[in-house]
Amino acid sequence: MMDKFHGDLAKLKSGVLGMGLFAEQMLSDAMLALGGSDLDLARDVKERKTRLSEENDALEEEAYQTIALYQPVACDMREVACALKVITSAERIGRYGKDIAGVVLSLGDAQTFDLVTALSLPHMGDLVLSMIDDSLRAYETCDLDRIAHHSERDDVVDSLRQTIFREGITYMMEDPRTITPCMNYLMIARYLERCADHSCKIAEKVHYMVTGERVEVR
Amino acid sequence: MDSSTIIATDRLSLWYGETRALEDVSVEVPDRKVTALIGPSGCGKSTLLRCFNRMNDLLPGCRIGGRVVFHGRNIYENVAYGPRVHGIRDRRELDRIVEWSLRRAALWDEVRDRLSRPAVSLSGGQQQRLCIARTLAVEPEVILMDEPCSALDPIATAKVVGLIDELKKQYCVIIVTHNMQQAARVSDCTGFMYLGRLVEFGETAQVFESPRNELTENYITGRFG
Repeated sequence: MMDKFHGDLAKLKSGVLGMGLFAEQMLSDAMLALGGSDLDLARDVKERKTRLSEENDALEEEAYQTIALYQPVACDMREVACALKVITSAERIGRYGKDIAGVVLSLGDAQTFDLVTALSLPHMGDLVLSMIDDSLRAYETCDLDRIAHHSERDDVVDSLRQTIFREGITYMMEDPRTITPCMNYLMIARYLERCADHSCKIAEKVHYMVTGERVEVR
Repeated sequence: MDSSTIIATDRLSLWYGETRALEDVSVEVPDRKVTALIGPSGCGKSTLLRCFNRMNDLLPGCRIGGRVVFHGRNIYENVAYGPRVHGIRDRRELDRIVEWSLRRAALWDEVRDRLSRPAVSLSGGQQQRLCIARTLAVEPEVILMDEPCSALDPIATAKVVGLIDELKKQYCVIIVTHNMQQAARVSDCTGFMYLGRLVEFGETAQVFESPRNELTENYITGRFG
């Protein structure tokens, strides 16, 4: 039978995982809205920001209460510390999803699908989302294999972002009418790159939670 | 309680589970006299004796009512006892040692005006610090503490913990405790023992953050023990 403390710890973990997946879905839906210029979906993503923020506050409070009531040590302490870091990164990921949805809404009819595809934004989105998903699953299962290659995957995302910047500048120079959408797409590439960084941050904390060792993933 | 009385009980009762072994025993035992307790087997002689040294406290299912009062030494004599045993007789030297020890134990300011009062008149936390003063009076190299903060309230605990932190600058301190948080807070090194074996020994921060041994981890996180 699980004692109350470890029951509370399991509940905290499940809440943090739920929030992480919720944030991942926000980013995933924002990319979907971008690809299909789906304004309704973009609006829906923006509205999820409130719930994301509420979940963050509630889980943070739950983690603080766990510390105050039980003063956890060793693997239990590392689990609570990891939970606090994961929710911070998850909130940022969700908010980048909201920002991307904001770009979709602000561009409206000025959306240029060819540019989105030409700039490889959907591909970059897929890479980042799979990194986030693996980080969260590693947190859930303590399976470090899922995050074993996060550094290399982050390098791919970083170089993709640089490529997108270079190509974006070329498009803008060739046709000044693309400046507004291109500038927004470059911002999205930057948001995606930051999301990959947060996924690496989660991977670092999961590694610490499982092994007690601090590693740098970037 | 008569001044010649060293131990007194007041309506002392004791139960082993449902069985009552002592019934309202009130007795005053004189100092510097031999007192015999007699009676048939099972009458409660040994039980009463074990109330004096508190061995009954260790028995599961044992319940005690009433009071046992130990008319001990006063505060001054408590601290001077050790140096006297070591042959120091000079009153001024003893005064100096008593004050020095009580100051080191962070108790002097609280008791300087009542050194002749019985030590049992002090609060639990003060008694604990008095024990530390007694220890310091003989200038040991190593101080051994067995549950130094058990039964103390948080304020008294904080004072004793602060004191231990001070003492480590000059003495080696070894603490035995069941209190994980206290061990984590006051110690620099922690050793975890299990069934007669030293399972793990290391720096406290390491042991409580990332213990090397799974048994240690399971114990300090409350998964067994």
